[in-house]
Amino acid sequence: MTELKLETPWQKALARVRTWARINSPWAIHFNSGSCNGCDIEILATLTPRYDVERFGIKLQGSPRHADVLICTGPVTLQARDRLVRIYNQMPEPKFVIAVGSCGLSGGAFQGCYNVVGSIADVIPVDVYVPGCPPRPEAIIYGVVQLLNSLKGETPDPQAKAVSEA
Amino acid sequence: MNTALTLLLLLIFPGGLFLLGSGMAYEWVDRKLVARFQNRIGPRWFQPLADMVKLLAKEEITPQGVHKGLFIALPVVALAGALTAALYVPLIGFKPSFSFPGDLVVTLYLLSMMSLCMGLAGANTVNRFSLVGATRTLTQLFSYEAPFLLAMLGPAIVTGSWQINQINAQAGNTWWFILTQPIGFLVALVGLMGKLELPPFDAPEAETEIVSGALTEYSGRGLALFRLGKDAELVIGLTLVAAFYLGGLANPLEFLLKTLGLLVVMAGLQSLFARLRIDQTVGLWWRIGALLALAQLLVLIIL
Repeated sequence: MTELKLETPWQKALARVRTWARINSPWAIHFNSGSCNGCDIEILATLTPRYDVERFGIKLQGSPRHADVLICTGPVTLQARDRLVRIYNQMPEPKFVIAVGSCGLSGGAFQGCYNVVGSIADVIPVDVYVPGCPPRPEAIIYGVVQLLNSLKGETPDPQAKAVSEA
Repeated sequence: MNTALTLLLLLIFPGGLFLLGSGMAYEWVDRKLVARFQNRIGPRWFQPLADMVKLLAKEEITPQGVHKGLFIALPVVALAGALTAALYVPLIGFKPSFSFPGDLVVTLYLLSMMSLCMGLAGANTVNRFSLVGATRTLTQLFSYEAPFLLAMLGPAIVTGSWQINQINAQAGNTWWFILTQPIGFLVALVGLMGKLELPPFDAPEAETEIVSGALTEYSGRGLALFRLGKDAELVIGLTLVAAFYLGGLANPLEFLLKTLGLLVVMAGLQSLFARLRIDQTVGLWWRIGALLALAQLLVLIIL
C-alpha cells in the first residue's frame, strides 16, 4: 500500500470514519493449519450465543474475500503451508492475522516434527498472539480487542495478560 | 414536474439516501430480533452502517477469469433496480412518486433484478462455489417468482386495478385482505423471504456448504452494493405486502407499525425453521405455494 499523506481536515475526517468502521466491523475467517482441534473448539465456543460476538460486530465469514481478520490455529504443517499462504493472499487489504494457541505461537508440542514448518509467524505476518492450550473464549475476545485497540493507534499494554491466566 | 423535484425524488427522499438509511435500519431490526430470539444480545444499532463503510473502504479484488465489465457493473445494476422500484411503492405511507396503470408488474420485475444480477455475478466467475450458488439463486428465482406474483394478483383482481397506488388506497376502505385472502398473504410473506434469501430459503448462500454462494468472489465495493440492494429490497417488499394485505398504508405511523409487525413475523420464521434443500424449496413453492395461490385466485374470480 502507498503511504497516504493526511493533510487536509477532510482527509483526516475520512480516515477517522474508515478507522471507526474497521474497528466496529471485524469479519473473521477461521483457518486450521494443523491444530489438534482444541483451539478450534474454543473458537467455535466464542461464536456461540453465550459469548455472542455479534455484539462487537464480529461475524464469521466463509469466504476469505469477505473477511478482515484471519484467525489461525495450530502449527503450520507442510501440507497446510501453501493453503495458508493462499488464503492469506486471497483476503483483500486491510487484513489482520490472529494466531490462537501455543502451537500457533511457537509450534508448541509439535515443534521439530518431521512434517511441521513451525509457527504461523514463520509463514505469514501475525498481528496478535493469543497464548493458551487452548485459550479460553474470553482470551480470544481479548486478543481481538487488542487488535482493534492497535487500529486506533494505541500501543498495547506490554503487561497485558490474557484473561485465561488470571 | 420540474427537474429539481425529480432529482430530489431520485436522490434523497424515496429513491436514494432515505431508502439506503431505512434499509440499513430494517436490517439492524431484523438482525437484532433474530439475535434476541436466539437468546443473544445482538448487534449494536450502527452495525449495518459500520459494515457498509468498512466494505466500501476495502480493497476490491477482481479475480482472474471474470468478464471485468460485468463484474463491476452487476452490483450497480442490482442496486439501481431496487432503488428504482422504490419510486412506485407507498413508502412511509406517502403517495408513490411515480404512478401509472400497470406499475405493479414493473415493480415486480425491478425487484427480480437483484436475484438475476446475483445469478449472473455468480456465473461470471470461475469459482465453483459461485457457480453452484448462481445455479441455486436462479433455481430459487424460478420457484418463488410465480407464486409471489399470483399472491400479489389477488388484491389486484379484487380492486380491479394494476396500479399500486390505487390498490393501496382501496385496501384501506374494505376489510383487510389478510382476512379475506389469508392464503395469498402467507404465500406473499414467504415469497418475500425466498426473494431475500432469508434463512429457511438461504440455500443459495449456505455458508456451511458453498462458502457464500454467488457472492463468494466479491469483496469491498461490490459486496457492499449487493448488501445495500438487498436491504432496500427488504424495505420495498415489506411495504408492498403491508400495503396490499394489511389494509393499506395511509400515514407514517401506520407504515412503521405494519412493516415492523411483518418484520417481527419474518424474524420469527427465520429463527424457527432450518434451511431447506434447494429441491425442497422448489417442491414447496410449486407443489404447495403455487397451487394454493391459484386455488385462491380461482375462488376470487368466480365469486
